Amino acid sequence: MSYQVKSVNIGNGIRYSSVTDKKFKHNRISVCMVMPLERESVTVNALVPYVLKQGTKNCPSFVELNKKLAELYGASLDAAVDKYGKYQLLSLAITSIDDRYALNGEKLIEECAKLLCEAVLEPNISDGEFKGDVVELEKQFLIDTIRAEINDKRVYAAGRCRSIMCEGEPTAIKKYGYEEDAKAITNKTAAQAYENIINNSKIEFMFVGSGDPTSGEKVVREMFSGLNRTNVTEIEPIEYKPNVEKAKTVTETMNIAQAKLVMGMRVGVPENDREMAALRLMSSLYGGTPVSLLFKNVREKLSLCYYCAARFNRTTGILTVESGIEDANKDKAITEILAQLQAVKEGKFTQEELDHCKMILSTASKAATDSLSALENWYLTQLMRGTNISPDEDFALLSSITAEEITKMANTVQLDTTYLLTGAAQA
Amino acid sequence: MEKQIIASKRLGEEYIKVQHPTGLTILLCPMKGFSTAYAQFGTKYGSVDTRFRVDGEEDFAQVPEGIAHFLEHKLFECEDGVDAFERYAKTGASANAFTSFDKTCYLFTCSENFEESLEILLDFVTHPYFTQKTVEKEQGIIGQEIRMYDDNADWRVYFNLLGALYHNHPVRIDIAGTVESIAEIDAELLYRCYNTFYNLHNMVLTIAGNFDVDSALAVADKVLKPAKPIKIESIAPEEPESVYKARVEQEFEVAMPMFQIGYKGIADKDPAVNMENMVLDEILMEVLMGETSPLYETLYTQGLISSGFAGEVMSSRDYYCSIFSGESKDPDKVYDLLRNEIESIKTKGIAKEDFERAKKSIYGRYLSMYSRADSIAGLMTQAYFSNVDAYYVLEKAADATLEKITERLKTYDNAKSAISIVKPISA
Repeated sequence: MSYQVKSVNIGNGIRYSSVTDKKFKHNRISVCMVMPLERESVTVNALVPYVLKQGTKNCPSFVELNKKLAELYGASLDAAVDKYGKYQLLSLAITSIDDRYALNGEKLIEECAKLLCEAVLEPNISDGEFKGDVVELEKQFLIDTIRAEINDKRVYAAGRCRSIMCEGEPTAIKKYGYEEDAKAITNKTAAQAYENIINNSKIEFMFVGSGDPTSGEKVVREMFSGLNRTNVTEIEPIEYKPNVEKAKTVTETMNIAQAKLVMGMRVGVPENDREMAALRLMSSLYGGTPVSLLFKNVREKLSLCYYCAARFNRTTGILTVESGIEDANKDKAITEILAQLQAVKEGKFTQEELDHCKMILSTASKAATDSLSALENWYLTQLMRGTNISPDEDFALLSSITAEEITKMANTVQLDTTYLLTGAAQA
Repeated sequence: MEKQIIASKRLGEEYIKVQHPTGLTILLCPMKGFSTAYAQFGTKYGSVDTRFRVDGEEDFAQVPEGIAHFLEHKLFECEDGVDAFERYAKTGASANAFTSFDKTCYLFTCSENFEESLEILLDFVTHPYFTQKTVEKEQGIIGQEIRMYDDNADWRVYFNLLGALYHNHPVRIDIAGTVESIAEIDAELLYRCYNTFYNLHNMVLTIAGNFDVDSALAVADKVLKPAKPIKIESIAPEEPESVYKARVEQEFEVAMPMFQIGYKGIADKDPAVNMENMVLDEILMEVLMGETSPLYETLYTQGLISSGFAGEVMSSRDYYCSIFSGESKDPDKVYDLLRNEIESIKTKGIAKEDFERAKKSIYGRYLSMYSRADSIAGLMTQAYFSNVDAYYVLEKAADATLEKITERLKTYDNAKSAISIVKPISA
């Protein structure tokens, strides 16, 4: 199915977009506030959506708010913080069952839109500060989230590699920010950050679901019309940093059973959509699928790693290879991972392998049309990039990429940082 | 071929139950408008099935822990040396498999070439091939996987809890087994387990999403061979009602202590009753500790829980327990407050409005399971192995009453509970 996203400008840097399909049983309305990623503001900004989701002037305690959500058939109000290139995305989203399944004829879309707008526009602030202890509590949770990064060693190692690799670049800034800054947040600084976000962020509303988006739009229009926003953040195109000045090797130790090896690489700047598609396919062919070169050779044939996968981040131009290895196999694993990259650069892969990758990516982009949050994510990314490509069109583009285009982009890949997290016993 | 339509009035949806002449039960749920299809081929055979006999044999066979999971890995290898992943690569399907306590399932999701992928699924699962050499190689790979789970704090806190709740039941052992237990596995044992549990009469094929019913059945006709009816008795050792240990603690490289609190319940002989109890207990847990409960408010405002407080029921043939989990700076305090709350609610009773709200919430949660092909296929499998239809749980949520929930509350006995804690390594 080919989807059409409909967007209307509400004015003042606020947009309301919708994608609908009757096959869904739910509706999801989200608001994404886009801010520049800056070391000074990133932490306090990251706190704001979580504070907003805890209560409004009408429902000052989260218990009241949660009761309201439960009455809306267990609607969920979620906060999220994400990164998109050099921007920080601060989001709130409400998801609930469609009006047609409500047992007592409730108008759930309208009520949900209202609740979402209230959460954003009517926080419990007076005299320039948040009331109650919600900031203190959420601050503690934010600190816990920042610290919890070390729980999953695989994720931790990948994050460490990126930080070392991109030191000094906006993309090195962590999306949840930093513990020392979190500790310094007060009711007042949080309220100031909120005011700053409301006045200066680019605001994207997105409706995805089976119901009527206009009933949500009406609510948004009414509630957001009174804002006087100046100096709204403009989204600039993404810039890659394609050159490696000096390759780095870093080893750190931690009490773990299995070593984690992460290799961070930089790719060349794609000049058009085709080159971008070639980069994505290249990464997938190299290590993104169970038929990729890394999976087949390094993991299966040589049994060097329990996992070994490549991931390409379109918003930063960084390709990472993550693997779990025995310490003793470190050098062998590095050699093999690079040998497989060399194979892609030299075009040492078959048409069949390439076709398999295309098919797997096709399944992934089509699957995006079967889930509300994936559809939302898809179209939000399109809006951020200033494009309007449907998952079907994206697949058609990927399908047309040739082996030559892939090797051309593979030859722009340069190893930047080799990071090893190893068990303390071996250190 | 015997076909039966199973419909839900509430959803206005239906699926088809086919009794295939080979002995396999096939459940088919085509979904209009969806672009992906999801198929799951499952056997009623999981990690707890370590002691069994067939067709009234005199003695029970005892097999090593972790063998069901081992078998799952091995089935992907085929006699011609091409593994199932490589075959799927040609069709573009994304494939996987999992072993749980009570079942093993092989699955794929795709957006095209559905029939070819289904043929691969049915073919490789029904054609085992292992040699002593390939078994030995796998022992290395699974040994690595077990070690990877040793680094996973969520997994540790969970299995430590099950080890505390159960004295003898194999549910207390890691699904993958231990490095020692898998060392005992050989090709002969694998064939023995395979020939017992992978009999088509002990299996189910479920498909949901974008596919054609007749073509799916044509593939089954082509690939499957009739199986002889089989009677399998799988038994667990005698398990006392009491818990083995009330408290278990492990130090780990984590930032914040993690906990799981378990209440050991009694599994009913009728799996349908267990399914209903599971739904009722989810409503009960929502009342007890959901985000609108006084307990949650206390924990939250005292900063005793971060990143949520979750409740889930784990139930199957002969085990049943309810688990409360989260992260906390003081898990013992959380445990105390939970025990007090259970006692106090038993005395003062559950308020009608709290029940109604929790019920709406859980009804909404179940409704959402019918909007995705993968969750519908998963539900059809789970429901089939429990002798109910896939809409049973939704109806049980809609039919829940305060009286039923109050009866369930009586089964929560603090004396039959345990806590598992994973805490940061002390300095």
